[in-house]
Amino acid sequence: MIKPTEGSRLRFRRKLIDRTIDLVLVSFSMLMILPLLFLVSNAFKSPSEMLNWPPTIIPTDPTLANFKAVLGETPLLHWIGNSLLFACLSTTCIVSTSALAGYVLGKFRFRSMNIIFFLFLATAVVPFEVYMIPLYFQAQALGVLNSVWGLLLGYMVMSFGIFLIRQNVIHSIPDELLEAARIDGAGEFWIFWRIVLPLLRGALGALAVLAFFQAWTSFAWPMIITTTRETYTIEVGLALFQTGFTVDLGRLSAASAAVLIPSITLFVLLRRNFVQGVASTGLKE
Amino acid sequence: MITMWKLEAYTGGSWSMARAALIGTALGAGLFVSLSAARAQTITVWSGYPEMAPFYEHVADGLKASHPDLHVKVEAIDLREHEKRIALALTSDQAGATIIELSGSTAHRYLENDLLPAAPNDVSTFVNDPKNFDAFFANDASKDKIVYAVPLFRGQGSLYYNTEMFAKAGLTGPPKTMEEYNDYAKKLTQRDASGKPTVSGWSMRLSGGGQGIAEKFWTILFQYGGSVLEPAANGKWKANFANEAGRKTLKQYLDNVYISKNVTVDMPADAEAFERGQTAMFMRESWVIGDIASKAPTLKYATAPLPIGSIALPTNLYVKGNGKDAKAAWDFAMATNSPENLVWLLDKVGWLPNRSGVDYSAVTKGQPAFAAFVDYPKGYKFFTLPSIGPIDEVLTRLAAQLTAAYGNPAIAGNDAAIDAVLKTAADETNNILRRESLLAE
Amino acid sequence: MLQRKRWIFAMIAILPTLVIFACVRLYPIADTLRLSLHKWDILSKKKPFIGLANFSELLGDHLFQDALINTTIIAFGVLIITIPTALVVAALIFHRTRSRFASFYETSIFIPYVVSLVPAAMAWKWIFDARLGPLNFLLSNLGIAPQSWLFDPVLSVICVIILCSWQALGYAVLIYLVGFKSLPVSLFEAIKLDGASGPQSFWYLSIPMLKPITLYVSVVTLVSGFNVYAQAFVLASDSQGAPGRLVRVLVLDMLENSFRNYRVGYAASEAVVLLVIVLILTLIQFSLLREKGRP
Repeated sequence: MIKPTEGSRLRFRRKLIDRTIDLVLVSFSMLMILPLLFLVSNAFKSPSEMLNWPPTIIPTDPTLANFKAVLGETPLLHWIGNSLLFACLSTTCIVSTSALAGYVLGKFRFRSMNIIFFLFLATAVVPFEVYMIPLYFQAQALGVLNSVWGLLLGYMVMSFGIFLIRQNVIHSIPDELLEAARIDGAGEFWIFWRIVLPLLRGALGALAVLAFFQAWTSFAWPMIITTTRETYTIEVGLALFQTGFTVDLGRLSAASAAVLIPSITLFVLLRRNFVQGVASTGLKE
Repeated sequence: MITMWKLEAYTGGSWSMARAALIGTALGAGLFVSLSAARAQTITVWSGYPEMAPFYEHVADGLKASHPDLHVKVEAIDLREHEKRIALALTSDQAGATIIELSGSTAHRYLENDLLPAAPNDVSTFVNDPKNFDAFFANDASKDKIVYAVPLFRGQGSLYYNTEMFAKAGLTGPPKTMEEYNDYAKKLTQRDASGKPTVSGWSMRLSGGGQGIAEKFWTILFQYGGSVLEPAANGKWKANFANEAGRKTLKQYLDNVYISKNVTVDMPADAEAFERGQTAMFMRESWVIGDIASKAPTLKYATAPLPIGSIALPTNLYVKGNGKDAKAAWDFAMATNSPENLVWLLDKVGWLPNRSGVDYSAVTKGQPAFAAFVDYPKGYKFFTLPSIGPIDEVLTRLAAQLTAAYGNPAIAGNDAAIDAVLKTAADETNNILRRESLLAE
Repeated sequence: MLQRKRWIFAMIAILPTLVIFACVRLYPIADTLRLSLHKWDILSKKKPFIGLANFSELLGDHLFQDALINTTIIAFGVLIITIPTALVVAALIFHRTRSRFASFYETSIFIPYVVSLVPAAMAWKWIFDARLGPLNFLLSNLGIAPQSWLFDPVLSVICVIILCSWQALGYAVLIYLVGFKSLPVSLFEAIKLDGASGPQSFWYLSIPMLKPITLYVSVVTLVSGFNVYAQAFVLASDSQGAPGRLVRVLVLDMLENSFRNYRVGYAASEAVVLLVIVLILTLIQFSLLREKGRP
């Protein structure tokens, strides 16, 4: 039997544990975003303040000169546009191919399908960088170098995406549902369009977010595909950021900080999709 | 396209995502349209030096009268990326004409594979005329006596030194021998209470990407009478730094870093450090003059030639393209060498024009720092990078070996260890040459 | 009859994806294998077959060996840091999942993963700067001598590991969180009745049950660790005056061989070695972490 004082002691202990965990987590979270805070604060520093020791977190003499220079002299917004276009195209492509392929591989268990599935699976582990170079020459042969189509070439399908959808299809779409629709006389495409896709909503949302950020943060491939300043994506533009003889750290920080804004905004908008989607993928297999 | 949109609409409460996709595609379509808008005549200039962009734009402005329909796009990026994009682009078909700014030695492999066209006759005559260009530059822009490019500027190394720091250390003039360099470096280094150098006496190129380290090493090696690659009969080469000259050079680096402790790897280095007063002297090309003028105009400094001679890296303008655009491109290349443009180049950018017979005195009188580059003493020797295919690989690998050596305190002062390092590096160089059938046996 | 109709639909539906896959994935992978047996500099038209000569040259190439060692250290370093930290952090967040802070924790831990690589790396480059960075400032306040983080051979590798782990952690934590949410509550209540404490139930119950997730996270983290490139590129970036020491990693060596030394065949052989390593490691992880008794 729990006496009243024991109850309150238990509650106190639980609260203490909770508060401690909160403290640990808050410090950890702050540590995680600290580098980005530094970046933003550097963006507002004047060139002479950048050389200060000890380094300051809050600039003593904040200036907008870096931002003005960056937005005026470099095609930063253009680069953001390029990255956005590339990421959207890639997401669309990946989501559609994964949805269709995942559904087929999950529900149509023919021998030939299993072979195809094995093929997808086997190549899933191969890192992109391994076959990046021949793919580059393919892009060259197709004449799509230095364009968003060339960028897209490396990001049209995602093996993991197909896998994800297939898992989801197996776990959350009962065969009976499909059979019932077939008995009612529905065509296969109609079934896919009207029944399967709405049920896959969560997983497709998660996949879309994954695909989007994979394209948004891709580096090695855009580095070799884009050759003119106009076609750079953000990653490439920032990495090769150089106006004049040398690299100005203040301006670079301003450009980087400016780029953080769309990244974080997009993430905050899409976060709920992602978490829900991942939860419904049946990763717990 | 519409089907795709509907698909997005099905994916979980993501009207925002559908909207994003739409906006993204619309943006993209807009970008596409603007990018592919037709121009009357477009030529693109590819440069590996961002500071040259204003020069090319200045030349384009000057051409507006004679070529009203001409649109010139200037794409100047970092040198390594520039070389990479050339390698990739020259092997595929490009629309329009491109002017490619490239050093003669790097261009050689493209000429070997017939990837760059020869210059038209009028350009050829212009380049081969000894009144316009010294034979050294004309040869660099040619192969087997056929002219492929218009020479433009060169990189040539000299010493930059901070006259205020020199005066404070009791030094009246620049060092004249390599031994004096060591002495001066010791006297000029400023240290903190614990003896750590805060201002380096001599900023040596100890780290950083690519081949720069190897080129700077070669420059100092040249003062001792050595060279990285030495030509032999019938177009063959061999490594020439695993000897006394090489040992003296590597010793000089290691002594300055570990024994006299005048400079360390992590200290700010190069032009930026010089401009901020964090180093007393360093060797670099002429573009620094323009950099100092814009970033540290009150800096009190002077330049001086090196003891024996220097590197001279000519950069030329090649053209890739067909038809009318190509003609316009060659016109542009010729225009860059007009006396007015060359004087502008020297004055506003700082790279040294190669053309002779142009009066640069207006610039050199106004900026005495140029004197070391153009008024060098009699008997001053020059060397340049060999025009062979694997030159980049040789220098890059040598740079990797040197970086490791500079970071290794154990070999400082140990002649045998230094020799071993040089032998390993020289063997590697020779292996590369052998692989490409260029090794003199 | 119905089966046939269904089969036709399946084939038609999967055809576009299959074709794309063959073009952008199967063909280039096969081409990499093929190129590794040839000698080709980008510019020339001849590509002679040289058998395994590229591979034997690789064995003696000290730059390749450097790259291999560095990449292996970085990949395993990231793995060793990320998995335990992610597990613990996810457990902690899950414990507080009903508080209003939970979404703040999740968001701030996941942000490094979605933020563009290059700005983040630039931020860390400044932090690690020997003369200007806050890390050395913090260390000097704690009485430790300031280090040249970006130039020392050992420390520069550690910098890359820290940067990569920082970025990878968010994804791992999120996946683990999902795993925690799907663990059966009944088992935990049972074990609590038996008198187990929080940490004990974590150790003896959560970790084994999360094995499939650990397998997935570990494979993904290790593979992306072997492909590290952007981080090394930025931390060593050539800003004149403050370039860091170039931590040579496999992808960097590959790209240098392809596009700076123009030796595509040689670079392809490096790619093949990378592929073999990744395949072997994945197989090992599968056999170590697979659930016993599952197909």
